[in-house]
Amino acid sequence: MTTVLRQASLIAAKDTRIFFRDRFALIFSFLFPLLFVVGFSLALGDVGPSDDDFIFFVSTQEERGISRQIIESLTSAEDSSVVYLEYDDAARRTEDGEIDGFTLFPGDFTERLFGDPPASIEIALGGASPGERAAIRGFADSIAGQLGQIGTTMAVIAEVGGPEALGRADPASMAAGPGLVELEAEQVGGIEPVPATNFTLPAYLTMFVFFAAAMSAEAIARERQNHTLERLMSNGTRRESVIVGKFLTSIYRGFMQLAFLWVVGIFAFNIDLGATAPAVILVSLLMALASSCFGVMLAAIVKTHNAAVSAGVLLSMTFAPLGGCWWPLFITPQWMQSLGKLTPHGWANTAFNKLMLFGAEFGDVLPEMGMLALFAAAFMAVALWRFRLSI
Amino acid sequence: MTTDKVFLSASGLSKSFDSVQAVNDISFSIERQEIFGLLGPNGAGKTTTIRMLSTVLEPDAGDVEIGSRSALREAGEVRKIIGVCPQEIALYEELSAIDNLVFFGRMAGLGGKEAKEAARANLELVGLLERGRDAVRKFSGGMKRRVNIVVALMSRPQLLFLDEPTVGIDPQSRNHIFDTVLGLRDEGMTVLYTTHYMEEADRLCDRIGIIDGGSMIALGSPDELKASLDQDGDVTLEEVFLNMTGRSLRD
Ligand SMILES: Nc1ncnc2c1ncn2[C@@H]1O[C@H](COP(=O)(O)OP(=O)(O)OP(=O)(O)O)[C@@H](O)[C@H]1O
Ligand SMILES: [Mg+2]
Repeated sequence: MTTVLRQASLIAAKDTRIFFRDRFALIFSFLFPLLFVVGFSLALGDVGPSDDDFIFFVSTQEERGISRQIIESLTSAEDSSVVYLEYDDAARRTEDGEIDGFTLFPGDFTERLFGDPPASIEIALGGASPGERAAIRGFADSIAGQLGQIGTTMAVIAEVGGPEALGRADPASMAAGPGLVELEAEQVGGIEPVPATNFTLPAYLTMFVFFAAAMSAEAIARERQNHTLERLMSNGTRRESVIVGKFLTSIYRGFMQLAFLWVVGIFAFNIDLGATAPAVILVSLLMALASSCFGVMLAAIVKTHNAAVSAGVLLSMTFAPLGGCWWPLFITPQWMQSLGKLTPHGWANTAFNKLMLFGAEFGDVLPEMGMLALFAAAFMAVALWRFRLSI
Repeated sequence: MTTDKVFLSASGLSKSFDSVQAVNDISFSIERQEIFGLLGPNGAGKTTTIRMLSTVLEPDAGDVEIGSRSALREAGEVRKIIGVCPQEIALYEELSAIDNLVFFGRMAGLGGKEAKEAARANLELVGLLERGRDAVRKFSGGMKRRVNIVVALMSRPQLLFLDEPTVGIDPQSRNHIFDTVLGLRDEGMTVLYTTHYMEEADRLCDRIGIIDGGSMIALGSPDELKASLDQDGDVTLEEVFLNMTGRSLRD
C-alpha cells in the first residue's frame, strides 16, 4: 500500500512536470476552454445592446423571485447599459417622456414561469422612435430568448399607448385589440438568467476537463508502446502504482483547470455562485474525478496511442453536445435528454444548470453528484481490470 | 536450480504469440559474473526471451530462477536484483537525462539524495554528465542509447540485461560501452547481452548461446563455437553464426 502510494506520487510528479513543459497541452487545457467560454458567451448574446449609447430600463413588480435575479445579473456587469428603476418611477418617467420606455416583469412572473397561463414580459413604450422601440423590443425578446424552455409559451407584450394599459390586459384580449396593444407570442425556453457565462462556463469546463483527461490516455498508451511502462515494471513498479499515478496526474490537472476557470469566471465574468458555491464546486470536482477515471480506462482498453487519440477525440466530441455542453439540455427534446444521461457530462451539466440557472440548492443536485461518483467508480473498475503495462 | 555459481537458470522456456512460436523450449544458465551473449538473427526470439527472464512477460511453459528465486512466483524479489536495458529507447524525451535517471532510480526504491548521486555517477560513467540537464529529446541517437543503458544501472542490479545496446552508435561510443560493461562485470555484475555484431560478442562474452526460430541451436564459449566449425585456419564468430543459422534473410 505505501509502496503503491509512493510510486504513484512519483509518477504523478513526473507526469505533471512533463505537462508543464508541454506548451500545447497547457494551451489545450487552459486557454482553449477560456476562448470557448468567451466566444460562446458573446455569440449566445449576453443580454444587452451592442449600441453603447442606448440605456435600457427594467423594472419588476415582484418583491422577490427570478425577475429580481435576472435584473441583478443584467445590471451588475461593469459596463452594463441596463438600469433598474422602481416600477412607479419608471412608469412616471415614461409618461413624462423622460425615458422612451422600459421592460417590466409583472408581479406573477416567477409563479407563472413554471405554470399556465404562461409568464410574460411586458414592454412599456412612451414616445419612442421606431428605432428605439425596436431596440427595446429586441432587448425584451432577448431576455425572453434567454429564458429556456419549460414547455410553455411566453408572451411579450408591447404596449404602445403608455404604461396605463399595462396591468389590465391578458394576452388573449390584447390580441383582440389591435392598434392599442401588440401581442407577440414566441417559443421560449426554461429559465436561463443572464449572463450567458452561467451556462457556458460550467459547460465548457465540463467539456474540456473531460477532453483533457481523455487525451491523457494517449500519453499513457504511448508510454506503453515505447516500453517505459514495461521498463518500470521490471524495475519493481506495481501495476496499481501506474494506474493510481496516472489517475493522480489527470485529476490534479483537472483541479487546476477547475480552479483556473472558476477564478476567471468569478473575477472576469462576475459569475456569482453565492450560496450554491459549495455544490457547484463539488459537482465540478466530481466531474474531474469521473473524467480522470475515464482517461485511465481509455488507456487501459486501447492498444495503440493512435487509437487512444481517435477514441479520445471522438468520444469527447460526442459526449460534449450529447451531455449539454454546447446547448442546454433542457431545451432539447426528451429523447436527447435521455441520451445525455448516458454521459457524465449530462449529469454534470444538469446539476450546473439547476444550481446556476434555476437557483437549486445543494440537496437538489445530490442525484447528479451520485451519478458522477458512480461513473467514476465504473470507469475505474474497468481500468483496474484491463490496464496492462506491456504491449 | 541456481547454485553458488549459477545465477540465472532458464528451463524449458516457451512462448507463442497467436500463430508465431517466438520461443520454443529454451534452457540455459548464466554463471555469476559472467557476460553471456544471446545471438540470433532478426525475429529469432532474443527479446522475447529477455522479457520472460526479466519478469515482464509470462512464459507459456518453463521456469526461470534468478538468484535462487523464481521469476514467475517471486517476480517482486527478482525485480529488485535485475536491471533491464530494453532494445527500444525507453526514456522520457521531455525530461532531462538527470531527471530520467532520478525518476527510474526512485521508482526502484532509492531515496532522493541517493538517486541524484547515482544519476550523476552513471552519467559520468557514459560521459554525459555535462549534458545531464538537457532534455533527452535534444540528444543524438548514440547519446540516448547511453542514457538508456545507465537507467538500467540505477537500481544497482546484480544481473543486467542489455538488449542490443549498441545499435546505431559510433565506434567511439561503442568502445566506451564495452569498457563500461567489462568494468561492471569486474565489479561483480552478471550480464546478459544480445547483439547482431559478432566481433562484439567475440570480444565481450564469456559464453554465447545462438538461437534461431525460437530454439537454442548452440551454446558455448566463443572459442568452443569456433572450434565446432570444423574448418582450417582462423574462423570468425560470424562464419560460425552464418553457418549455423543459414544465409537466408530473416523477418
Ligand atoms: N508482442 C508480440 N506480439 C506478436 N508477436 C510478437 C510479439 N513480440 C514478438 N513477436 C514475434 O515473436 C518473434 C520473436 O521476436 P523477438 O522480438 O523476440 O525477436 P528478436 O530475436 O529480438 O529479433 P530482433 O533481432 O529483430 O530484435 C518474431 O516473429 C516476432 O514477430
Ligand atoms: Mg529483439
